[in-house]
Amino acid sequence: MKRRGTGVGCMFYGVGNTGLPNPAAAFVQVLPDTSVHVTVGAADIGQGSSTMAASIAAETLGLAYENIQVTWADTQVAPEGGATSASRQTFITGNAVRNACETAMGELKRTAAEELNVPEEDLIFRNREIYSSKDANVRMSYPELMGAMGKKGRLAVGAGYYNPKTTYLDPKDMSGIPYELYSYATTILEVEVDTDTGEVTLLSVVSAHDVGTPIGNKLVEGQIEGGTAMGTGFVVTEKIDVDPKTLAIKNPSLSKYIISTCMDVPKIYPIVVSSEGEAGPFGAKGVGEPALIPSIPATIAAINDAIGSNFTTTPVFPADIVKAWQEGQGKKS
Amino acid sequence: MKDYAVLAKDHVKVDALEKVLGTTKFAADYQMPGMLYGGVFRSTVPHAIVKKLNLEKARALPGVACVLDHTAIPGKNRFGIIFKDEPCLVDDKVRRYGDAIAVVAAETPDLVQDALELIEAEYEELEAISTFERAMEEDSPKVHGDTNINVKKHLEFGNVDEAWAKCDVIVENTYSTHILSHMFIEPDAGLAYVDEQGVMNVIVSTQNAHYDRNEVAAMLGVPQNRVRVKQATTGGGFGGKLDISVQLHCALMAHYTKRPVKMVRSRTESTLVSSKRHPITMKCKTGATKDGKLVAVDCVMTCDAGAYSSYAPAVIGRAPVHIVGPYECPNVRCDAVFVYTNNPMCGAFRGFGVPQAAVCHEGQMNALARALHMNPLEIRRINAQKVGSVIPTGQKLTESVGFLDTLAQAQAKAAEVMPEALARLDKE
Amino acid sequence: MNNITVHCTVNHKPVTVETAPNKRLLDVLREDLHLTSVKEGCSEGECGACTVIFNGEPVTSCCVLAGQAEGADIVTLEGISPDGTPDAVQRAFMESGAVQCGFCTPGMILTAEALLAKNADPTEEEVKLAMSGNLCRCTGYTKIIEAVLLAAKMRREEARA
Repeated sequence: MKRRGTGVGCMFYGVGNTGLPNPAAAFVQVLPDTSVHVTVGAADIGQGSSTMAASIAAETLGLAYENIQVTWADTQVAPEGGATSASRQTFITGNAVRNACETAMGELKRTAAEELNVPEEDLIFRNREIYSSKDANVRMSYPELMGAMGKKGRLAVGAGYYNPKTTYLDPKDMSGIPYELYSYATTILEVEVDTDTGEVTLLSVVSAHDVGTPIGNKLVEGQIEGGTAMGTGFVVTEKIDVDPKTLAIKNPSLSKYIISTCMDVPKIYPIVVSSEGEAGPFGAKGVGEPALIPSIPATIAAINDAIGSNFTTTPVFPADIVKAWQEGQGKKS
Repeated sequence: MKDYAVLAKDHVKVDALEKVLGTTKFAADYQMPGMLYGGVFRSTVPHAIVKKLNLEKARALPGVACVLDHTAIPGKNRFGIIFKDEPCLVDDKVRRYGDAIAVVAAETPDLVQDALELIEAEYEELEAISTFERAMEEDSPKVHGDTNINVKKHLEFGNVDEAWAKCDVIVENTYSTHILSHMFIEPDAGLAYVDEQGVMNVIVSTQNAHYDRNEVAAMLGVPQNRVRVKQATTGGGFGGKLDISVQLHCALMAHYTKRPVKMVRSRTESTLVSSKRHPITMKCKTGATKDGKLVAVDCVMTCDAGAYSSYAPAVIGRAPVHIVGPYECPNVRCDAVFVYTNNPMCGAFRGFGVPQAAVCHEGQMNALARALHMNPLEIRRINAQKVGSVIPTGQKLTESVGFLDTLAQAQAKAAEVMPEALARLDKE
Repeated sequence: MNNITVHCTVNHKPVTVETAPNKRLLDVLREDLHLTSVKEGCSEGECGACTVIFNGEPVTSCCVLAGQAEGADIVTLEGISPDGTPDAVQRAFMESGAVQCGFCTPGMILTAEALLAKNADPTEEEVKLAMSGNLCRCTGYTKIIEAVLLAAKMRREEARA
């Protein structure tokens, strides 16, 4: 028999290390032709931290995304980046890039203010132009500004770093400020369970994530979609088996440790939710781990809903489902 | 949301073009003139003293450049992200299946395999600890030092013991999660060489080049600025490439041979020895009023963290803080104990203990919803954190708390794309 | 074991390789021909990272011995856009956000190329079926499937123009 069930999973996630300093830094230079070097310590493992750094630099400097070249995770040229973990690079390296850009903008603002005869605080840098917030006709292009910088012998360089505002937690009761900000998520998913075979088919998933400000919509969606596939696999297909005698892993291969294929992944509806805040760069928060988390309890709940079971242990494999269903039917009759 | 010029739009990722063209170099793709290949001789027992180690036959094989054990290490033979408890090469004893005992560098990958087969080790086996319970017994052998307790945490907020009297409903359940593997699609790989300035260079698949640099410098006994670690394009990590993989072994052999040494793990080796997700057992008691408002949560959390610490001290710090989930609860207690055993090492894995905590807190919310005949979305909504809420560490949330919006937007989308599924939540 | 000589076509050029008979095609491509876009992810034909187009079919090169390549027509990702200009599939992968870590990407793109060469207008189910031998741990596949469908559309539009 095929039965359907619905599950809800919610989570919050503190971004960055727990109650510990975990700074990251960045270097920035705007070159005479308005192209930019950004150097960060953050390791990009495919999630897009370098794309994030380029985006933040372009937004802060008022240049185009295409103007930014990022160098990352080379210890001889890049400053400390800390670990690419704890969903922290958008928040922490992002703030470091923003701070480095703000420093580089010191000379840019001084020069633009002199050229346009406008107070520095009235200047807006956006889309490769610099203009007055009071009169948009008072403006100059970025190439003009860099020309003026060159004539005055000024360089647009900056170093910046950021360390989240947290406290060490009291060893007595863990009180304190473990994280400066938190990401949130809600996932609702539907499964179909075959009570004869124990097979679980994921039908559809809605997953809404508060990321503060998305750096890029597809970057966030890609995290949510990948996290959802990993989260459902967590419950229904993935398991490390340890040999009880040698304590060796018995299934160290992709033929024996089953991860989702594209046939297993349901229709996923990622929803990018924004919220207002000052802590992250332009309000951005992390999503790498939050993307995974809610689909795990949601999958368990959906299976329980489908067959009236009460699984509290993972994984939930077909044999477990068949057994639970048969026991449940036995109780009813 | 503000009107941004660059953010909240879709730009092609900075690394996408080279990746679709296939010109991106991952660590295994690097070749250098005179480059050697490296491999590791690993323990086949979980807990033992190495009584005899015969490296001579391997050393005598033509084409083998070096065969090294722990005596070759010039600096420190202990590393680790938080506690320095893992050896580069086993010295006192083997603590898990797959511990690195010796390393080999040779002219070809086939020769490396031949040399590894010529290494002979004789073990004096010790009792292997494979369960949390045995690890905690007084007479159990100790994996490290004089206790098997790796880390303990105690979180206390409000007054849990007095709070039960205010509860109309109490649910108690035990949750347990299992060991999982990251299965990042690129197995670990790296290359080390000494450059013309005498600086040790390591190009490696990693999530933290600066940490790797510090460990390589400590192992070689050189200043940190004499080691350059450059992250190669990295084929996924999910936490599994935060620990040291081939960095130290490559650097040690490059240091000895003065030649570049590349190490590429097979899927099998990568999965055997990289970190795993902590399996956590959570015994949890949760109480609420008849309206569904959370009153108290009490959780006891235990975990077999395996043979080395890795990120266990971070996981055990994070999981209790998140044990209630994104909800307000005035009384919370969580006691957590992580122990060493001779099982595979657990470490960072996407979520650092919060996925495990979520299995518990969401299971408890559903149990409460069932007991109170409430819609699971509704019980979450009435308990949701918002600006001004206080979390179980006493921290007051001051901004950017979008939880209620995620609930509302997920519900609205579900009403549109899966109305029957959403309606099912209303039953009872 | 004596070496054998294998003649085949790789990326539209005739190639002669002298190799051990038990060497895998994957190693011949990576080591002898320096075609490092071909990735090794699992060594057992499960992950698809080492996929090449072999006589028009996507094949995991870790499961092919060098000798089996005699007379074969082999295409790796290097052969798709030798001048560095991405083709429709490659552009679609970039624009759809289908690339995260990139390790599965060469195999994904080649599998998609082989599909689209035979089926210019595949359904989503046909795309999923064709791509199901290629594992990705990052994306959850959604954007990869979108990219292949987009590439098919771009190709059809290019053909009309």
